[in-house]
Amino acid sequence: MSSPAPLKLTINGLPVATVAPAERVLLDLLRDDLGLVGTKRGCDLGTCGCCTVLLDGRPTLSCLTLARLVEGRTITTIEGLAPPGGLTPVQRAFVEHGATQCGFCTPGFLLTATALLRENPRPTRDEIVRAISGNLCRCTGYTKIIEAIEAASTGAP
Amino acid sequence: MHLDPFELHRPTTVEEAHRLYAERPAGADYLAGGTDLLPNYKMHLNLRPTLISLDRIPELARRDGARVGAMVRLGDLERDADFVGRYPGVARALREIATPLVRASATLGGNLLLETRCFFFNQSEFWRASLGYCLKADGDRCHVVPQKERCYATFSGDLAPALAVLDAEVELAGPGGRRTIPLLDLYDRAGDGIRRTHLRPGEILTSVLLPPAARERSATYSKLRVRPSFDFPELGVAVAARIVDGRATELRIALGGIETCPRRFDELTTPLEGAPLDGPRRRELAAAVQAAVRPVHNTFLPPDYRRRMVGVYVRRALTEVVGATAVP
Amino acid sequence: MVSPGPPPAYRLLGGRIPYVDGPLKVTGRAEYTDDLRRPGMLVGRLLRSPWAHARIRSVDLRAAREIPGVVAVLTGDKYPTPFGVLPITHDETAIAVERARYIGDIVAAVAAVDEATAERALAAIRFDVEPLREHSDPRVGVDPVTDPIHARGLRGSNVQKEVLQNFGDVDGAFAHAAHTVRVQGRFSGVTHAFTEPLVTIAEATPDGRLTVTSATQVPHYLHRALSEVLGIPMHRIRVVKPEVGGGFGGKSDPLPHEIACAALALETGRPVRMLLDREDVFYTNHGRHPTENDVRIAADRDGQLLAYDIRALIEGGAWSSFGTVTTYYNGVLAMGPYRVDNFRYHGRRVYTNRPPSGAMRAHGGTNLRYSIEVGLDELAERIGIDPFDLRVRNALAPNSTTVNQFRITSTSFLRCLEAVRRASEWDAVRPRLPYGEGIGLGCGFYISGSNSPIHFAPDIPQSTVHLKVDMDGGIAVHSMQADIGQGSNTLLAAIVAEVLGVDLERVHVQRVDSDVSPIDLGSYSSRVTFMMGNAARQAAERLRDTLVRAAAELLACSPGEVRVGHERFETSSPSERSVPFLDALHAAMRTEGALTASGAYRSPKMGGSYKGARAGTAPAYSFAAYVARAGVDPETGEVSVRKVWAAFDCGRPLNRLAVEGQIEGSIHMGLGQLLGESMNYRGARLMNPALLDYKILTPAQMPEVEVLLVGEDDPEGPFGAKEAGEGPLVATLPAVANAIYDAVGVRCYELPVTPDRLERGIARRRTEHRSWKGVG
Repeated sequence: MSSPAPLKLTINGLPVATVAPAERVLLDLLRDDLGLVGTKRGCDLGTCGCCTVLLDGRPTLSCLTLARLVEGRTITTIEGLAPPGGLTPVQRAFVEHGATQCGFCTPGFLLTATALLRENPRPTRDEIVRAISGNLCRCTGYTKIIEAIEAASTGAP
Repeated sequence: MHLDPFELHRPTTVEEAHRLYAERPAGADYLAGGTDLLPNYKMHLNLRPTLISLDRIPELARRDGARVGAMVRLGDLERDADFVGRYPGVARALREIATPLVRASATLGGNLLLETRCFFFNQSEFWRASLGYCLKADGDRCHVVPQKERCYATFSGDLAPALAVLDAEVELAGPGGRRTIPLLDLYDRAGDGIRRTHLRPGEILTSVLLPPAARERSATYSKLRVRPSFDFPELGVAVAARIVDGRATELRIALGGIETCPRRFDELTTPLEGAPLDGPRRRELAAAVQAAVRPVHNTFLPPDYRRRMVGVYVRRALTEVVGATAVP
Repeated sequence: MVSPGPPPAYRLLGGRIPYVDGPLKVTGRAEYTDDLRRPGMLVGRLLRSPWAHARIRSVDLRAAREIPGVVAVLTGDKYPTPFGVLPITHDETAIAVERARYIGDIVAAVAAVDEATAERALAAIRFDVEPLREHSDPRVGVDPVTDPIHARGLRGSNVQKEVLQNFGDVDGAFAHAAHTVRVQGRFSGVTHAFTEPLVTIAEATPDGRLTVTSATQVPHYLHRALSEVLGIPMHRIRVVKPEVGGGFGGKSDPLPHEIACAALALETGRPVRMLLDREDVFYTNHGRHPTENDVRIAADRDGQLLAYDIRALIEGGAWSSFGTVTTYYNGVLAMGPYRVDNFRYHGRRVYTNRPPSGAMRAHGGTNLRYSIEVGLDELAERIGIDPFDLRVRNALAPNSTTVNQFRITSTSFLRCLEAVRRASEWDAVRPRLPYGEGIGLGCGFYISGSNSPIHFAPDIPQSTVHLKVDMDGGIAVHSMQADIGQGSNTLLAAIVAEVLGVDLERVHVQRVDSDVSPIDLGSYSSRVTFMMGNAARQAAERLRDTLVRAAAELLACSPGEVRVGHERFETSSPSERSVPFLDALHAAMRTEGALTASGAYRSPKMGGSYKGARAGTAPAYSFAAYVARAGVDPETGEVSVRKVWAAFDCGRPLNRLAVEGQIEGSIHMGLGQLLGESMNYRGARLMNPALLDYKILTPAQMPEVEVLLVGEDDPEGPFGAKEAGEGPLVATLPAVANAIYDAVGVRCYELPVTPDRLERGIARRRTEHRSWKGVG
C-alpha cells in the first residue's frame, strides 16, 4: 500500500474526513473504510453497474474511480437517497412494481434512475432504456425496472 | 480486486505534468477518465509505478466550439447541444460508446488513445500466466497470429473514425513544444502494433480540433457488436461527405474495430471526387474497402464475418450519407 | 366430469403482493454475505490451476508461509474427502488432491491480513507437476482414453453417466411413420451470471462450533457437505444464508470455495471472508452443459406423434455435480407436454478438463426442448398443418400417465395454446409478415419440484415450516427455504397471513439459520412454491385451528361455526359477532401456553420401478405456450426480438407480481442463451470469463412481454399453485428460433444464434436459390 493521504469529501450530505492511499478506489473506500455497504461489488471491472454512485449528481462507477480524485466532491450512495424513514418516489415505485428481485443490482439502478429523472423528469421509454443501458440485471429482464421508472416519472401508482 | 500501489499526482498545468513525467524514469502513465486504464491495472496489464492524473489541468477540460479539450468527459460532450448539433456523426459515435456509466468518466482523449484490445490481452494476470503471456504484455509471442514480431490487438475506439472523416486534428503538447497534426497521423500503422502512436515520450494529447469544413459535411457512424451497449466495436464505420447541389465531394470513409489502428480509405475515395455515387458505385466502393482489410480472430465475432460486414456497413453508411445525391 | 365451480378467491393470494424485502433492497439495507463484517476477519484467497490436467507431485509452501501477514496456507491433503451435491457421485474436492482437473481448479488456499498479502502468498507457492493428457472433446471422451479425468469413468473412458431407456416400439413406429424429422442441435455452455459474486464467511469459535455464512440457494446441502468434508457433526455447524444476489442454480451445489473458506477458519481460529473475483465465479461455473443432441420424431399422416428417438452427448466438465440428473433430464423431460407412446433415449455425460457444468434454470430441459420444438415446427411444415394444430392434436391429457410412468395431474396446456394464439393474433398476423419478419411458436413443460429429494431417506419431509407466535401478536416463520430473489419469503409470509386472516406485516420470515430453521431442501428444481407452500399452509392451518378453538370459546359457539375474518374471527351463529385476532390469541395462550405450529410436505409416491424411474417425476408439472415475433436483418444476421406472448400454466398464480417477474426474467435468460451467451473455449481454456465478454442481454435487447396466466388449480399444489421459476424459460428459445425461421427460412441448429451464424445460413439459402417469401 502506498502511504495514505488525508481526504475530505461530502457523502450523503455529511462531511467525511478520512485517509486513502493512491490506489484506493471509491468503492473500497465506501464499503471497507466507511461501512457504506449498500454500494455493491458485482464485477470490479466497470461492467455491471452494481457499484454506481452519484458523483456531483452524475451516475458514476465507483469501482473505476480513484478515491483521491474525488477530493472535495459530493457523493450520494443508496444509503443517502431517501429521507429518514421514507422512500423517494422512484424507490417506492421499485417496491410497488416488483422491480427488485435479488436486489443486488437495485442500488445501481436506483441511482441511475434518480439522476435520469432529475435531468429529464418525463423520459420516454426509449430514454429510460438508454439511461439504464449500463446496468446489468439478471433477474427481472428489466421489464419491471422500466415500468417502475415510468411510473415514478408520471407519478402514477 | 485490488490495485497494486502506485504514486498519484495531480498537476494543474501541462508543464507540471511534463516535469513529473520526466522525473520518473521508472515510468508513468497519464491518467484521464480511468475507465480503460484502471481495469487494465486491475488485471496487471503493463503497470507503471506512477499515475499522473490530468483531471486538474483546466486547459484540457475546455470546450470552445471547434476545439474540444482532451479531458472533456464523453457524458458531458453528448449533452452539449451545440456540439451535437454541429457534429451529428460524432454524436452518434459518442452515444454508442460503452455505457452511460462509463461515459460519465471516460474522456475524449482517452477514447482516442484507448489501449488496443485482444482476447489474449484483456485477461487477468492468472489467465495470461496460464498461457505464458503474450507479445503485448509480459510475453514474447502472439497467440492470434503466431509469431514474435507484431501485435494484432484491435483498435476499439469509436471516436477516431468518426472524427477522422471530418479531417479532425489533434494538438499534442510535449516537453519540447506543441504541435498540431491530423488525427490519423497520431496512429502508427506501420509499427509493430505495440507502439501504436507517434506520441513522443511525455507528450500529452491536449485537444481535438474540428476544421470549419467539418460542419459542412454530412456524416454518420455505425457500429457492429453483439449488444447495443457495453460492447466495444467489432467494426465501426464512419462516412462523411459534403453534399452540394446534389453532388458529393470530400467523401471520406474510416473504420475502427478492425485493425490495430483506425484507418481511412482516401486511396479509394479520392478518385471518386465529384463522381455520382449511384447504387452500383457505392456497392463497388464498399466491396473495395472490404477487400482492403484483414481482421484477425481476436474479438467476439469471427473475422470472416466482420470482413463481410465491412462491405454491408460501408455500403449502408454511404447510402445514408450520399444516397440522395445519386437521384437526379 | 363435473365442471368445477369458480376457484375460491383469497384475500392476499392471487393478487400482486410487493416483495416483503423490497424496502430493504431499495435503500441498500438488505444484507448480503459480503456486507457482513466480523472482528479480526481475515481475507481468504484461492490459487487456481493454470494447468488443464496435471498430477501434482509436490507443493512447497514454505516461502508463502513466511510472508508476514499470512496466517494459513492450505493444500488439498488436509481435507481430501470428496463431496458433491448427489450422494452417489462424490468427486469434487475443496482443494485439488493430487491432481488438477481444469484451468481454474482450486489448488491452494490462503488466509492473510489483507488481499494484497494473500495474493503475494499465492504467488510464492511452488508446485511440481506432471502434465497429463488434456481432454476437452467429449466426443473423444466416450471411448477409453489415456489418463481419464476420474477413475470412476465408465470402462476407462471419461463417461460419467450413461442412460439407456426404451419404452414401446420405437423402431416399429419409425418404420410405419408417414413423417419423420430429425434435429441435431448443438448448444454452447452457458452460465448463471448472477450479479452477486460467490462469497462465504466462516468462523470457528472456541465453543467448538463452526458458523458458515454463504451466498447459497441450498443451505442444507452445504451443511451436509461441510460436515462430511471437515469431519464435524452437523449439529456443531451453523449455516446462515443472508440475502442472496441471484442463484439460477449456480449456488445450489455445495461449492469448493465454501468448504475451503471453512477450512481456513478452522485452521486460523479467526473469521475468514472468501469473496471470489468475477473471473473465479466463471471458473466455478456449474452452469448449463454444452450439449449435442439428436432428436428424431415420428408422426402419422395427420400429425399424431408416434415416437421420439433421442440421443444426447453432454459435456460435464471436471466434476459430476448434478450430472447424473442432467443425463436423465435431457431425455425424460421429453415426456410432456405431448403424449408420445414410443420413446427411446441414449444419453451420455462426459467429463472434460473444463469448469464443471451443473444445474442452471430449467436444468436439463432447455436444450432438449429446443430441439423438440424446432423439430415440431419442421414437422408441421412438412405435413402442411398449423404449428398450433399440431400441438393441440398431441397434448397430454389431465390425469394421465406417460409411457415412462410420469403421473400427470393438472394441465392447462390447451388453454395456454388457445390464449397465446388469440393474444398474438397468430392466424391473422402469420400470413402477412414480409421477408425478414417472423412469428414462431414454442412450448414448454417442466417439473414443479423433484419428487425424489437428494440425500433423504424416503418419507422424511422435503419441506418443514415452523411458526411461533407470542403475546405481541407477531408471527415468526422459520424455514430453510432459500429466498434468492424469487420472492419465496414474500410467498411464505402471504400464505401464513392468508390462512390466519392477518395483515402481512404481522408475519416475519426469519433469516435462514440452520440452528433455528427447520429443514427445507432449498431453492432448486422449482420446488419452493409447491413444497414450502404446502408446508406453510399446513403449519398455518394448525395454528389457525388452535386460535379458532379459542375464538369459539370467546364467541360461545362451536369451532365449526367460526370463520377467519380480516384480523378477527367471526361467527354468525347464533348472531353476527367477532373477536379480534389478538383476543383469540391471548385466550389460546391461556390454555395452550406458548404457541407454535409446524407443517411439513412430502411428495406422494409415484413413478415406475425400472432403473432411473424416479428421474423427472414431480408432484406436478408446469406447461407453457409462447409466441414470439422477431425481425432479422437478412444482410447482417442481426435479430431483434419484438415481442413475446407468454401463456403459462403455473396452476393458480399466488403472487402475480412475482410470477410475472419470473417469466420476464426467464425470457431474458432464455434469449441470452439463444442470441449471445456462450462459455467460449479454445481447447480447455475459457476465453471469456468476464461480464464484458459474456453477453448477458442489455435493456435495449429485451422485447415487450405479455404474460397470460391461464392455469387452473392444481389438485395438490398449495391453493392450486405450481412452479413458475424455471419452466418459463424453456419455451422462449424455440419460439424465437421458429420466428427466425418464419422470417428468413433458416433453421438454427447451433446456439447461440450469433449474427455471423445466421448470416451464413441466409447466404447459404440464397446460394442454393431457395427463395423464401418470394425473396432470394
